[in-house]
Amino acid sequence: MIADMTLSRLLAADVGYLVLPVVLPLLGAFLMQPLARVSARGARILGPLLLVLSAGITAQLWLQLGDAPFSLAIGGFAAPLGILFYADRIALLFALAIPVFALLFWPEFGPGAGGRDQAARRDALMLLLVAAATGLALSGDLFNIYVFYELAAVASFGLVALTGTGRSQVATFRYLMISAFGSVFALLGIAILYMQTGTLNLAQIAQLAPETLPNPIGLAAFALMLIGFGVKAELFPVNTWVPEVYAGAPARVSALLAGLVSKLAVLVVVRLLVLIFPQPEAAELMLVLGVLGILTGELAAWRAKDFPRMLAFSSIGQLGMVFVAFSISGEIGLLAGLAVMLHHLIVKSALFGLAVRWSGSLEALSGAAGVSPLASALFVLFALSLIGVPPLPGFWAKILVLIGLAEGGTPLDMMALMALLLATAIEASYLFRVAIRLYEDTPTPVPPPARRDLGVAALLGALLLAVTVGLKPVADRLGEDAAQLGERALYIQTALPSHVARKD
Amino acid sequence: MMSFTFETVVLIGALGLAVIGALGMVISNHLFRMLLALAIAESGANLLIVLTGFRAGGVAPILGAGDPAASMVDPIPQVLVLTAIVIGVGVQALAVALLIKVYQAYGTLDVRELRDRMDADVAAAAGVEADASQDAPAGGRPLSPAPSRGTAGFGRRSPAPADGLRP
Repeated sequence: MIADMTLSRLLAADVGYLVLPVVLPLLGAFLMQPLARVSARGARILGPLLLVLSAGITAQLWLQLGDAPFSLAIGGFAAPLGILFYADRIALLFALAIPVFALLFWPEFGPGAGGRDQAARRDALMLLLVAAATGLALSGDLFNIYVFYELAAVASFGLVALTGTGRSQVATFRYLMISAFGSVFALLGIAILYMQTGTLNLAQIAQLAPETLPNPIGLAAFALMLIGFGVKAELFPVNTWVPEVYAGAPARVSALLAGLVSKLAVLVVVRLLVLIFPQPEAAELMLVLGVLGILTGELAAWRAKDFPRMLAFSSIGQLGMVFVAFSISGEIGLLAGLAVMLHHLIVKSALFGLAVRWSGSLEALSGAAGVSPLASALFVLFALSLIGVPPLPGFWAKILVLIGLAEGGTPLDMMALMALLLATAIEASYLFRVAIRLYEDTPTPVPPPARRDLGVAALLGALLLAVTVGLKPVADRLGEDAAQLGERALYIQTALPSHVARKD
Repeated sequence: MMSFTFETVVLIGALGLAVIGALGMVISNHLFRMLLALAIAESGANLLIVLTGFRAGGVAPILGAGDPAASMVDPIPQVLVLTAIVIGVGVQALAVALLIKVYQAYGTLDVRELRDRMDADVAAAAGVEADASQDAPAGGRPLSPAPSRGTAGFGRRSPAPADGLRP
């Protein structure tokens, strides 16, 4: 730890080190196999070590450079020609959250079930996922976004298929097909954007967008990219992979995919929406798909009979709400979207952490509170926050969405508002059903959650409570984040060449 | 005008390939056919990208190799398409590897059959309620009756006691 602190102090002075949170895990991923041949122990600690290092570098950069956004021209080639990383507060927040969550939900610190080779493969895939996710958060051009998106997809295929059971392989295959289907759509959208503007740099497209894109062709490009990037974000028509994958994958991997990776896909869509497609039709399309996601997800979750699939369906519904929130125009939409998104990141990850041992049917969970009171109490806490019971952060997130919709006031907004309230009722129904079952008086042998997962869940629960207590500063910060996220001019000014920080 | 019509034809061809591929992925019932449809859709998308940088009569975008004044084709889409092709090949290879594993596990590549088998599998792994959680075969239930598990005749009406008995 101390070595790490001094190292990050040495490293942090230069903007150029922004590439390290992407490069280090990437390098580690490819070093993992050879290193495992030499020293299994070294390979085992390499992953967590690199994650701590990346998180430290990001935190140090953020502390030193403050909250103003900055960009980095990679290799010193200025922006429209070269590629760039763009770091504003949200991007940095995610760049920090990715290694931290990956560490919290690191599949296994020990050698694990499959022996040494399997462990090295798994750790390499985890590092690849981290590198790709961080790259997605920071990238400032469509080319890199596409590449990192694909890299994250391939890494998650490997992680999902890790259990090696037939069902997880079928699930992975279907996930792969839907994901590749989405990639084709995203590529078509990128091609159309390039045809219209002649550049792949987000800032430059944003500059050109007002003249070239407010037309049906631009809208088609957005729709294609929404579907394409929506695959990972569990958007309505392309989310059929979700229940199978989360039921078949290791629960910690599910926690990362549902909690973290989906949010990065959402972030990409939000950047597109803010920078390139401010027209109302784009937001309306997102609203409609989000509402459909809410209704289908929550209804399916209500019918679900086992814990992981209930969480999977409920996460479809929650991400539908994220899309609805971001479709609200203006700063309140961004604020509501960020709040819902971060809330879901914390809560759903923690719930999947509990699902590591509670992977069975819901009926088998009856009386679990007797075995493990803390886990049950945490479940109730997260459930209450998901439903939106007043003092908890989930309530404030949801009420922001409702206020935003009510202010919008169009018939579509009203429809979304109704759907959201209905979904809340459904959510309450199925989550309380589980909660009641947990506290039933019929002691069945329920395995208590492992100490590590329980610890992670308790940590996230404590975070949730801390936010509840310190709501005002958190809300203020989030408001500033949203304001910064919504400033198109600032993005263009920061990302385009005259202002690019160079290393020479 | 010749070049314009040529471009239009290729453009329509590229979009057509993408649509054919996408449709094929949606409607085919065999995993390998889905994979082939994916390959077609990807080539459509790739063709469209190459086309965005196409200039009639353009030369390869290499400085110093020819007349710098001649119009060059746009290199960026070509770079993008190279990346996309490489990624596509990698993903397809991974898909074929998974197909082999799936066939080894279930002995079939038919989507409907696999879905039934997998649902039963997931339910079985999740707990004990395989019968009750046959996943929403909307309208499909009469066609593919769930295999009888030998539970008491009307057990599905009250899953809770039935499940309570089984473990």
